Amino acid sequence: MATQPQKLAYVDSKLGAPNGGQQTTRILFNTIENPGTTSALTFFRNFQGLTNGQTNLTQNRLDSMESMVIKTIWLAQYTSAGALQSTGGFVGQTVSIIVGNQTVVKNLPIAFNQGIAGQAFDRLHDNGGGILDTSNTETANFQRFQPCEIRLLTDIVIPPQVAFEVRIDSNSGVYGSGAVVCALSGYGKIFSAGNSF
Amino acid sequence: MITAQDKILHVANKLGLTSLKDMQASTGAVYDVDTDLSGQIFSAATRHQFPSVTNLTDNQFEVNEALLVENITFFCKDEAGLITNFQNLYNSNAVILFDLVIGNKRVMKDTPVFAAGSPYTFANVGQQGSLDAGNVVSKYLPRNQVYMEGAGVLIPPQVQWYVQYTIYNVVTGAIIPPTAGKALGCYLFGTKVLLNFNTSI
Repeated sequence: MATQPQKLAYVDSKLGAPNGGQQTTRILFNTIENPGTTSALTFFRNFQGLTNGQTNLTQNRLDSMESMVIKTIWLAQYTSAGALQSTGGFVGQTVSIIVGNQTVVKNLPIAFNQGIAGQAFDRLHDNGGGILDTSNTETANFQRFQPCEIRLLTDIVIPPQVAFEVRIDSNSGVYGSGAVVCALSGYGKIFSAGNSF
Repeated sequence: MITAQDKILHVANKLGLTSLKDMQASTGAVYDVDTDLSGQIFSAATRHQFPSVTNLTDNQFEVNEALLVENITFFCKDEAGLITNFQNLYNSNAVILFDLVIGNKRVMKDTPVFAAGSPYTFANVGQQGSLDAGNVVSKYLPRNQVYMEGAGVLIPPQVQWYVQYTIYNVVTGAIIPPTAGKALGCYLFGTKVLLNFNTSI
């Protein structure tokens, strides 16, 4: 079975992308403020007005010497007061990842890995992120939910300088007036002129 | 598949550390707390008390000692000096944005750690909770960790390292300054190489 470093090296070499650089773990994230009620959220498309605390990119692509593997998709929805909620409520929603002109994850359901379904894809979530103790209301300090998280079975590569985005589809999903955050995590390479630690 | 030992030996070979392969392989963790509220962890470890604040005497390893960082975790030290969950003090909407710098090189870049529970911590596997009168778990205390994908990052012997961080409110984007009684700490856990004398001293 190919590991994340092997898959990244294979794809980079196929594309003729640089193979050097510092091996590391990358977590890219992007925030949509005040998303409201909508049927489609697109992350990593808009960076205007966001601070470093809301995204760690300035454009929807990696630098020329950088690439990474997407292994985990992470989604979190906050109220304007900072309380964590289930992403889009408990209704059916799907996530798609588009790299370049290619859809690399297509309409993967996210509702099972959060909320009250309790049927996460992987065996490591102990109850799919279910809510607990419904007699209490969540606050910023009193966290009743867990973020939605999906661990992919295959390694999806974002090559250098190729645009990518993440799309959430729903039937008028309620995302509130706070913010929704999407993070992509996995093995990656960042620019380095010398030896790799 | 690249193992931790493979990675350590590969980097040691690149750096010309020929005797590292003869040392004792082990498991280790180093920790420190930014009690100065300076935005850096480990850089002032030499001034911190052992073991309540740090288990280091300096932010570099001695000759022939090294650590392959496989897990980076953040925690807080509260007013009573207790090790406390980051979300519990800074709330779910906080996010730590950190760099790990080894020598003159940034090896982790603008990496977020979400107070609500970070990616690849599998959220509620790390749950703890306070119990109410009915013995019901009433809230989550999420894991604020980064598990290194691939094969980790090696801190070689005699090279200084530190973690530089800023805490933000992810909803508003505003900076949350660290405050006394909420000092941020960090541990680095992974495969350790310990100095091992093969000759009698």
